[in-house]
Amino acid sequence: MVQSLDPASGAANPEEADAKTELESLVYDQRSEDGTFVGTAGSGPFRVSSWEAGKRATFAAHQDYREGRPFVDFVEIQIGRPVHDRVVDLELNKTDFAQIPAEQARQATDRGVRISISQPDELLALVFLGSRSGKESARMRQAIARCIDRAAIVNFILQKEGEPAGGLLPQWSSGTAFLFPTETDVRTAKEIWSQISPSPKLVLGYDSADTLEQSVAERIVVNAKEAGISLASRAMTASGKASPAQADGSTPGVAHIDARLVRLRMTSPLPGIALTAFINRLGPIAGIIDCPLRQSASPEDVYSCERSIMNSGLVVPIVWMPQVYGLSGRVRDWKQPTAGESWPLADVWLDSTD
Amino acid sequence: MRLLPRLFLRRAFIFWLLLAFAAASTKGQSAAQFPPDWTNALGSLADKIAAVTKRGEGLSLEAKNISSLSTADVDGLRQLLVTDLSRRNRRVVTESSADVVLHLTFSESTDGYVWIAQVVGGDEDNIAMVSVAAPNHKTSTKEASLTLHRKLIWEQDAKILDFGIVEESASGGSSMLIVLNTDKLSFYDSQDKSWKLARAIDLQHGRVAQRDVRGRLDLQAGEAELPGAECAGDFRHPETVTCTSITAASDPETPMPPVAIQGRSVEDYAVLAGACGDDSLTLASGAGDWTAPDFIQAYGGTNLSAASPPIQVPGPVLELRRNDGSQSVRVVSRNLKTGEYEASIVSVSCDD
Repeated sequence: MVQSLDPASGAANPEEADAKTELESLVYDQRSEDGTFVGTAGSGPFRVSSWEAGKRATFAAHQDYREGRPFVDFVEIQIGRPVHDRVVDLELNKTDFAQIPAEQARQATDRGVRISISQPDELLALVFLGSRSGKESARMRQAIARCIDRAAIVNFILQKEGEPAGGLLPQWSSGTAFLFPTETDVRTAKEIWSQISPSPKLVLGYDSADTLEQSVAERIVVNAKEAGISLASRAMTASGKASPAQADGSTPGVAHIDARLVRLRMTSPLPGIALTAFINRLGPIAGIIDCPLRQSASPEDVYSCERSIMNSGLVVPIVWMPQVYGLSGRVRDWKQPTAGESWPLADVWLDSTD
Repeated sequence: MRLLPRLFLRRAFIFWLLLAFAAASTKGQSAAQFPPDWTNALGSLADKIAAVTKRGEGLSLEAKNISSLSTADVDGLRQLLVTDLSRRNRRVVTESSADVVLHLTFSESTDGYVWIAQVVGGDEDNIAMVSVAAPNHKTSTKEASLTLHRKLIWEQDAKILDFGIVEESASGGSSMLIVLNTDKLSFYDSQDKSWKLARAIDLQHGRVAQRDVRGRLDLQAGEAELPGAECAGDFRHPETVTCTSITAASDPETPMPPVAIQGRSVEDYAVLAGACGDDSLTLASGAGDWTAPDFIQAYGGTNLSAASPPIQVPGPVLELRRNDGSQSVRVVSRNLKTGEYEASIVSVSCDD
């Protein structure tokens, strides 16, 4: 059984969006490198046999799947189960497979849950919105970027399941992540902020359904305060979507935010493809200029594009996080999916002796 | 006195020639240990460094390795770069006398190695980088100092179901390797100490592909079987072998009765009768699944206790079958580092 969230809800939060993608991967045959599914629904290793919106879905093995039918006969997925309950279900062997937030991996392990952790392939970044331009805006972004204590976020919020992020690609993918600094520099942040006059009061938005984003946003507010930067955090609901600050500062009924936290999950381990997908996602939010990359882009080309985006200051990478899955004792041949790969439910089998 | 200066000059000239020869030899030996594209990449990196530094400038070079390259390889590559830089009139000096600091990082991406030079100093910092493909990590033949010996025969990307070696071949080679894949039966001649493809027969399956396909070769009978297809002929004469599709669904092999080895029930094993004197040995692999390295060990006695230390296999053992007429087993495994399927022969030598 797989714990998931309602895939039909329109993906109100990142976990739901990921779950929707994973469920689609069960019924589609192939996935292109940019993450889109090709073929018809039902051509994949499983077929939907029952569906209760928001509650439960059952997928049966596709007998004539071209790569051979899956080992398991069916997969039953419970939807909408809270994280705590998923961990308890794993402890009690009431479920075979569940997604666990990275920050809860250590706790789950301490409780005896068998877990599988990927390489870090999901980026949490701060993205500046709107059309603020000019020197002062650039200074503002620099000051915010330098005051964030990424190490503390990894150690205390993620419980060491993650790593500080300086660039838009992780070290294992691009090989050049170490060229982007991650250290905090509160002193320089203060100096830069002091050059901005009058110093604005900024608002950082985060997804109200995402507890991790809330914790990180609050931590950044504390970091900013230490650097003398006036920054407040604001939860954003699906209905009250935040809009960039308007010229006259008045947009009734709509929250004003200057930046927001964004989760970006890699669609491919290949750096060129992953970066292109990130640019496509960030472009409409932050107005990032596209730097076209070929599929076979060299590390130099990828680095050059990544550097140009980072130099704009519009995106501030914070941390890289892995995907964490809890597994029951009877699951065999579970191979941790790499970036862009789907859950390998067609390849696993259940040991009946456990 | 008149002769002394000439003698001195001659000796100096000869000494200089010897030095030049030694330097060339050393350079040749260092470059020869690396693939050509690596040495070319280093040359390209030296060009890029030279483009952002000045002739005669002293560079201090600090190297760091965050890749899977060995320390020896990193040292060799660093030395090669120093040589390349000197050819471009860039001197590598100590930090205290350097005009420019060069941070050299040997890094790695999903595509291969990435070597980065950060040139710090002067008007601005510059970054130069080159990338090379990482070589396949070939599994070395494991020569155990113990009773079991593993010899790698063949490796390939595609899944191997079974394999075997026929010692005589009508085509003139000394032996022939036969490899049963999921979609073809291949015959390889032994030529110049390597296997060359002699013939490959495509297999047309009579039914939908299975996920966990198993197949079997019977070298003596000249048969190959797998779900949906079978082949027959004289394997010594590959041209006589024909393959047809069948609709059989079950595994071509009758499962062996499980045996208890050290508290676990084992279904895949091979028995070598009379392997060492009158004793028979049962060879079996470990209890892990297909995502972990494995081992093969010999067990003997009525209780099937360990009779040899295990030999490690860099991936799961997928098939283990006794070679007819010999005290060895043929093993199909998958190397988790390279992803290649490997065909090996594990033989037994008895301790005196």
